Amino acid sequence: MPDEIYFLCMLHNIGATSPDKSLTLEEITRWTAMEHEKARSNIQKLIETNYVQVNSSRGVERYHVTADGIRKVLSMYS
Amino acid sequence: MIICMLTWEFPPRIVGGIARHCLGLAKALVRENSEVHVVTLDFPEAPLYEDVEGVKVHRTKVELGHPSFTTWAFLFNHFMEKKVAVLSQDVDFDIIHIHDWLTAPAGIASKHYLNKPLILTVHSMEIGRAQGLHSPDSYLIDGMEWWMIYEAKKVIVVSDSMRWELQNHFHVPQEKIAVIPNAVDVTKYQREIDRESVRRRYGVESHEKLVLFIGRLVPQKGVEYLIWAVPNIVQHSPEAKFVISGDGWSRNYLESLAVSTRHRDKIRFEGFIPDSDLAELTMSADVLVVPSVYEPFGIVALEGMAAGVPIVAGNVGGLAEIVEHDRTGVLVYSRNPESIAWGVNRVLSDPGYSRWLTQNAKKKIKENYSWETVAKRTSQVYEEACRR
Repeated sequence: MPDEIYFLCMLHNIGATSPDKSLTLEEITRWTAMEHEKARSNIQKLIETNYVQVNSSRGVERYHVTADGIRKVLSMYS
Repeated sequence: MIICMLTWEFPPRIVGGIARHCLGLAKALVRENSEVHVVTLDFPEAPLYEDVEGVKVHRTKVELGHPSFTTWAFLFNHFMEKKVAVLSQDVDFDIIHIHDWLTAPAGIASKHYLNKPLILTVHSMEIGRAQGLHSPDSYLIDGMEWWMIYEAKKVIVVSDSMRWELQNHFHVPQEKIAVIPNAVDVTKYQREIDRESVRRRYGVESHEKLVLFIGRLVPQKGVEYLIWAVPNIVQHSPEAKFVISGDGWSRNYLESLAVSTRHRDKIRFEGFIPDSDLAELTMSADVLVVPSVYEPFGIVALEGMAAGVPIVAGNVGGLAEIVEHDRTGVLVYSRNPESIAWGVNRVLSDPGYSRWLTQNAKKKIKENYSWETVAKRTSQVYEEACRR
């Protein structure tokens, strides 16, 4: 499984699945124990494929998994 | 009868066949005058409560998560259990019905604190899905499956093949198991479509042959063997085009395999396709291939038969029970690209034979695989569980 998809699954499982449950990069790295730069790189790839959406509020970026991203995650679980 | 049905997937949250099964069964049970409450997980833009043709759907928000899949699964069970507890303050359930291990903890807890019979439907088993037990998570899931079978009053399986698996792996007594096949909603295929326009959307011109696969892109579905069969099929039917609908963790591997066939231009990976579009695509295909290496039932085959598309299926599990070789479809050896190619070429080269297969298949679907029949038989299981 590609790194960013595995990361997507973790994002989904920690609950970042709607705008009101979106997380900052720092919160995500704490939950996933992933290095900051690697997490950022994965998130960027996921945004480009429309599996993750970014919301900005008061200069703070927060991320959550989109409906397409949830479907992608569910397809990973056989 | 008042039923509490627990399922981790329910439309629009669709993973595989369980969502379609639960929707079809729940609606049919309502038509049989049961009251059905489905407790499932939330999904973007889906309301937390809705009435779907009489089925009361309660979607659960999961307030706590964890990166690990199995830990997350146990956590969402806690929130589902809480939802059932809240519902039971107003609704006196007669039956708790769970589907596979993913809602087992919530179902088992509900059984004990509500003191109601637990019915379990086993759609597949970890040892089959993972082709053996190879990791701590697999052993955990296998253990959960044993536990849920132990706790259930009655276990429903969707095929004789699945019954044999349960008896062989977990030594479940025969009298505990009821075999009730899946069904298909034929009405979604009873409409006029612009076949050529649908085919063009997927890059298939009117003179070309659409060879369709629908399913998760995971090893048990055998897609790699279909891809290996592509050169042989194209040699016999140069106008063949392949559409692979679905997603899964094997996708990258399958796409690179497609490149190695040197016919990558003839193979399209479409990913997830919404149900309404999928019905049209199925109806527009020239053949539907179900090359599974492990398949407890094979609801996709039923849907293809209902859509009037000739089926070429692996001779495994439930597929071998649904498809009568050379009468309602073509059975081929699983894990065998030459056999798959033979089956597809057989169908594509003889339109008269294909039509005959699909006519027989439609008749069989009508007679044996309706949701009304499944609901009646399931209700009998519920009544028996409540009596004993």
